[in-house]
This record gives sequence, C-alpha cells and structure tokens, in this order.
Amino acid sequence: MLARARTFTIEGLHARAVTVEVDIRPGLPAFAIVGLADAAVREARDRVHAAVLNSGYEFPARRITANLAPADVPKVGPGFDLAIACGVLAASGQIPVDLLDTHALFGELSLDGEVRASHGTLAVAEATMKAGLRMLVLGPARAREATLVEGLAVGVVERLSSAVRVLSGGAPDPLPQPSRPPLRSAARRQPDLGDVRGQPEAVRALTIAAAGAHNSLLSGPPGTGKTMLAQRLPSILPPLERSEAIEVMRIHSVTGRLTGGELLSERPFRAPHHSITTAGLIGGARRGWVGEVVLAHNGVLFLDELSEFARPTLEALRQPLEDGRVAIVRARHSAVYPARFMLMAATNPCPCGYAGEDERCRCSEADLARHRRRLSGPLLDRIDLLVTMERAAVDHIGGELATSSAHVREQVIEARERQAARLREEGILVNAQMDARMLRRHVKLDEGGKRVLAASRERGLLSARGQHRALRVARTIADLERSERVKHEHLASAFSLRPEAGLSGRRAA
Amino acid sequence: MSGVCAQCERRSWLLEQLSVGLAFGARDLPRFWSLLELPDAELTDAIGGRRGAELHVAYAQWEPASAQAGEGLERICRHHRAYPASLRNHALAPHTLSVRGGVERLGGLLAETVVAIVGTRRASDYGMETARGLARGLAASGVTVASGLAEGIPTAVHVGALEAHGTTLTVMAAGVERCSPAWCSALYRRITSSGCAISETSSSPRAWRWGEPARARTLALLAQLVIVVEAEERPWELACAHVAQAHERHVAAVPGRVSSPVSRGTNSLLMGGAQMVRSPQDALDLLYGIGTHEAHEPSTELEQPLQAILEQVGAGMDTMGKLTESGSRSGDVALALVELELRGLIVRGDGGRYVPCAGALAG
Repeated sequence: MLARARTFTIEGLHARAVTVEVDIRPGLPAFAIVGLADAAVREARDRVHAAVLNSGYEFPARRITANLAPADVPKVGPGFDLAIACGVLAASGQIPVDLLDTHALFGELSLDGEVRASHGTLAVAEATMKAGLRMLVLGPARAREATLVEGLAVGVVERLSSAVRVLSGGAPDPLPQPSRPPLRSAARRQPDLGDVRGQPEAVRALTIAAAGAHNSLLSGPPGTGKTMLAQRLPSILPPLERSEAIEVMRIHSVTGRLTGGELLSERPFRAPHHSITTAGLIGGARRGWVGEVVLAHNGVLFLDELSEFARPTLEALRQPLEDGRVAIVRARHSAVYPARFMLMAATNPCPCGYAGEDERCRCSEADLARHRRRLSGPLLDRIDLLVTMERAAVDHIGGELATSSAHVREQVIEARERQAARLREEGILVNAQMDARMLRRHVKLDEGGKRVLAASRERGLLSARGQHRALRVARTIADLERSERVKHEHLASAFSLRPEAGLSGRRAA
Repeated sequence: MSGVCAQCERRSWLLEQLSVGLAFGARDLPRFWSLLELPDAELTDAIGGRRGAELHVAYAQWEPASAQAGEGLERICRHHRAYPASLRNHALAPHTLSVRGGVERLGGLLAETVVAIVGTRRASDYGMETARGLARGLAASGVTVASGLAEGIPTAVHVGALEAHGTTLTVMAAGVERCSPAWCSALYRRITSSGCAISETSSSPRAWRWGEPARARTLALLAQLVIVVEAEERPWELACAHVAQAHERHVAAVPGRVSSPVSRGTNSLLMGGAQMVRSPQDALDLLYGIGTHEAHEPSTELEQPLQAILEQVGAGMDTMGKLTESGSRSGDVALALVELELRGLIVRGDGGRYVPCAGALAG
C-alpha cells in the first residue's frame, strides 16, 4: 500500500516542499530511504524504526521503500523523521491516509517516540502557509517560531502518538508557554551608552553613524574603549521592525541559533575574531553554511582590529557592502543570502597603537606603511565616517556620564523618521544608501558649504567619492539637528569626521 | 601661424615624424641632448633609420599646413621677438613654443627671476610640504616659480605659489591644449588664469616619452636657479638638474633622509657640489647674494576665532574632543578646523589628529 506525507527541506534560507512516498509490499523485511538524502536523513531509518515500536505501534516486517521526491533535490537534516514515520503508519493502515495529504509534518524523532525540533522551523512555517496546507504539525520546542506566521494553524505534538491523534482528526497538544517573559525593550538587557565616561565627541560620532546607518571606523589607542563603544551601538539603533525581525529570525532559525520563539526586537551584533576566513565571513564553506555577514543582516558587523584581518577576507566584504546580499556559488550548490548590515570597524592608529602620542610610538616607517596599506583601498571606500577615541578619556573615569542609550535612541529614531519621509519615493530608508543622483536632489548646501566643498576638492583633500561620503554624513547631521537644509557647520562636522583623515599618508597637495 | 616661421614649423613637423627615434634616443640622456642640438638634416640621418631617405624627400617638399591654433593659444618660434631671451642663444632650446596665457604675460613672468622647483612624482609628505613652503615663500618674495605638471612635487609647487597669490609657469610635456594628467585640470585652470603654461610640441595627438626629458631641459634653461626637492637617483629624475649644471645655472637641492629612496638623488646632487636649500631665504641668498633680499611669507593674518583654534592645536589640543572640552560649540570648532585645513595651516595626522603645518604658527 502507498501513502504520501508532506514535509519540507531547507534550501538556503527557504524551505522547499518534499513529498515522502512510503510503499509497503510483501518481501523480505527491509527499509530503504531513497531520493538524494544526506547522512542525517539515511539515519532516520533506525530512529523511525525504534520510535514506531516504542510508541506502541507495529513496524511492518515487510519490504518498505520511502522515496523523498523530487528526487534531484538534495535533502538535509533530521526533520524528515516525523513524515517518514507517519508515512509508514499510514501505508501499513494504522492511521487514515486522508489527512496526511493536507498536513505538513516536520520534526526529528527520538528513539522513544518524542518529537524534537529541527532547524529552520520558521522557514518551513512560511512555506507551509504558501503551499496552502491546512496545518503544520511539529514538535513543541520551536513551535512558537511557527506561530509568528499569521494565519497558519500550528499543531503541536509532543510525541509520535500525538501526531497520530492529530492525523486521525484529534486535537493537538497545547502550545508551550514562552520560557522567559518577552522583552519589551532591547535596551534593558544590553550594555548601555550611559556606562561610557567622557568621550563626548566619540559618542556624538556614534550617534551620527547610528542615525544614518553609516559604515564607520573607530580609531584610537589601545584601552580607550573602542570595543566598549561599538558594543553599545545596537542599544541606540532603532528596534527591529516586524518584517526585519522575521528576516533575522529566519536566518537564525535555519542556522539553529534561535532560542525561544519570541519576535526579536534587538538587532544582531556580530563580532568575529580577526582570524576568520573568507568562507567564515561570507559563507559557503559547505552547503547551508551561513557567513557572519548574513548573521549580521539588519544589524551590526563589528570588525575589531581591522588591520589584522586577512586582506582577501576584507576584499570579500565588497559585494555585501555594495548590494546588501551575498551570492555564494560553489560546485554543488549556489544560494543568495541577504546581508544588509552596518559595518563598524575598529583599529589602532598604528601597529603599536600609540601614534600621535609624543614619543610612545615605536613603529617604523615600514610598519606604518603596511598598516595604511592594509586599511586603505576598496574597503575604506565604503566607510563613511571616522570615530576618534582619545587617551584623555582616562581622566574622565570619575567624570560625568554620557547620555543614556534610551535618550540617544530617541534622537536616532527621530532622525531616521525624517530620512525615511524624505527618501520614501527613492525606495530607500537611510542616508547611507543615497547615491550621487539622490545626493544632488536631497542635499541642498548653503553658500558657505558650497565654498568648503569646492576648496576641499581643489586642495586635493577630498576625492569625488570622498565628497559623496561627506555629503551623506552632513545630511545625517542636519537630520539630527532637525534642519531641512544642510548648513555650513553640518558639512564642517562631516568633514572633520571623514575617514581618510584617520590614515596619514600621501596627500595630493 | 604668425608667431612661427616656416623653418621652425618644419622643424616641429620633423620632430613629430622622428618621435619614435627620439623616444629611443632619450634612453641615453647625454646622447639625447646632442641629438636635440643637431640641425634638421643631420638629425634625420642620425635617427631616421630606414625612413631616412623618405623623410629627406618629404622634408624638401614640406608645405606649411594652414593649421589653426586653438583658442587662447599662441605659438612662437625662436625667431619671434617674444621668444624668451634665456633660451634664444642655446642650440639645445626648443625651436617653437606653444603658450597658454598669452605671450605678453609670459614676457612679464620671465622678466622676473625664474626659479624652477622640480622633483619626483612619488614624493613623501616631507617633500610635498617642503616644496609647497619653498614655492609659497619664493612667490611671496616676487620670484616667478616654474615647474612641470604632474602629481607629487610639481603639484605641491603650484599649489604653494598660488597660495601666496603668486603667478606660476608650468612647462607641459605634451601640448598645452589639454591638461595632462587630466586630474590636474582644476589646478591647470588656476595656473593659466594668472600665469602661463608652455610646451614644445603644439597639438601632439599622443604624449611621447621624449617629451618628459625635453620638458626638463626647457625648464632648466628658462630658470636662473633649479631646486630639486626630492628625486630618486635616476637620470630622468635628475635631468633638469644636470642640464642646468651643464649650462651654468645655479643648481640647489633640499637635503633628505639618507635612507629614503626619493632623497638619494638630491643627496647625491649635494655631494656633487650643488647648493643646499632649506628655506626660501637660502634660495634668495643664492640668487642675489647673502643678505640682500629678505624672504617674505605671504601674510597670514587670521581672523580671531581661527587664530585662537590654531594656537590651541599648536598647544597640543589636537582632537575635536580636547578642543570642545572648554565648552566651545563643536559646530563652531568644526567650522574653524575645516577653514584651517583648507588654508593648509593644519593637516590630519595619524589617528585623525590635527597637526599644525610647519610655519603655520610662526606668522
């Protein structure tokens, strides 16, 4: 007898429908799973066998073939167990076949018949909704993730026997309660900007960076709080919108990083160590491996000690910085992942870290040249502003507190609203994404500003691209100060934050 | 066509025809100089090669074409009254000159003392600052500053002289119609709006490699003093100094670090007996005798807020944070800093710190 069960496999960040066909016919007892299955799926055979028997059902001692269709799509992960087990039970007549065709089944089985959660539940839930199936039947652990998809019926089953009950028309188990109370504000759990003493200019630059989503470079001697400041960036960024949160959760769900199924409000903050490889940063080491840039989608990618990263690794950041996505193509698989993040890089001004501090710097010219070479180039082209940290801050340790994250976040949100209102027709949300044409339309300079811009070009202080960067930042500063027009002083502030200034080197004149 | 006689026009045509041979000849500079001194027929024999006979025939049948000089351009030859006197009696000097900015103005520029400041394209910050300072001081003291037009030292020279509201002369390697390199065109417009640009070839469709040493010899012959700011120890980088030495011009060099490749050329010039120049005053002493002319710095009267900020930067308050500590509005400080940076009084050092330029605080 033949039975068909519906389930899904994860492909990139999305789920693809898979039909499990189970056929039982007389012959020597055997159980074969065919259809381009990986090791975890082939091992389902033993799990399903034990789970069926331990749940009190009969495992037919006949020739069983389970086919995962379509046959040419590689199947990964243990999420097929539930569908295969139900297919076996239906094909052997232990449960009715009719409901099997309208319910999606997704979950791993333990040997005693308990249903465990699998990676990618959110993506599967979305695909179930899209496929028009009546219900998604899955284990309790990640069931809350699936409830984020509006209008989808979620059938929680704790055991294989519960799944049998649901497929026979019974009621599912209750949805588990959230393990911890949902966080209303992301800022509560995060480090707060209020912990920072002194550094008012650096805090201001960070505010500007957050308001316009500008990629930034933090520069300063060791121990001045570069990392501390960067870690507080998510706390002043606006909370995730619902659609953004779903995107982030889908990524984290597929990679198995998501715990609890509540809607996220805090933006991801990824800080990989500088020994990271290109594949680690971008992804593609093996099928389904997602890089740090993708995990930082809609959040912050923080690269501490930028000059220590391997050059090819940094070069690989160009596509995601440019397009907000990475296309990974390997011999056996290819996928496009979203990767729109805000880059925050930190570096010492020189290899020893003490450049500009009287006699403390011990770097030779060659060291400095190497340091600059590492930093300059195409990556720096994508960085809009420089946040300078100062040693003087040490005097401030007993000094006054910087403003709290909540306060700064309000300013940032207000500035972002102004930007969004202006840029809506352009199809972008933040100043950092403005191109040359939009800059011409939306950045209106006063006379003083025009003069500064012309003179800086003539003295070779700004390249054409550098000018665009300065204008984008000036636009954000004006937004923070609630000014529709970009004034002379806004441009001057943007000019003093330009990233080229962080690298002394050759100047055109 | 009025400024160039048929004989010189034909010479210019011949050089164009012989460009490949000249470019080859320029690999050995002493030979190149002797080639440039040859009369037309012998030059054709020397480097015409297989095309020699053919060129002789074409040369004999040559007719002046009715070429139109571009707008704002004038061409003169060595038989024209406006031809620079300092070039007139040299066999090595170019036969024709294209001038942008007008021959009257060129005459005015050359009536003053001419100092050529030259150097490498791969200049260090030290070289750039020194070149700019020398040009600014000399221009403010009434000297005509001349250089080529390329990245590195030549750019710094023109920028410095223009800062002092001086007039500069640039000698181009490949025609004055278009600015080459193109990225200098803004600077080129500023140079030619108050000063002059000259070149030997008129409208060469492409830049020949021999234009480079040819430009260096024109500069050397025009100037009373040649100052090399930074140069590698290679014949082409030192061509200007060597021609100047051979034709009894003053040659001076700026001393540099012995370990720096771009100072090897200048240091070896100093070893070989060139004068040492450290400041505009040294150059003036060389030209006019010690103590007769005093170098002027362009007036650096600053408005009060700018002067105050500049002094604070000089006193070690070299970051935005330190400058705003005393309660100044950061917008005002940023405005002042941009202004100072644009006027070349401060630069950004390592880690984005503000550093006052040499001489910025003296005035």
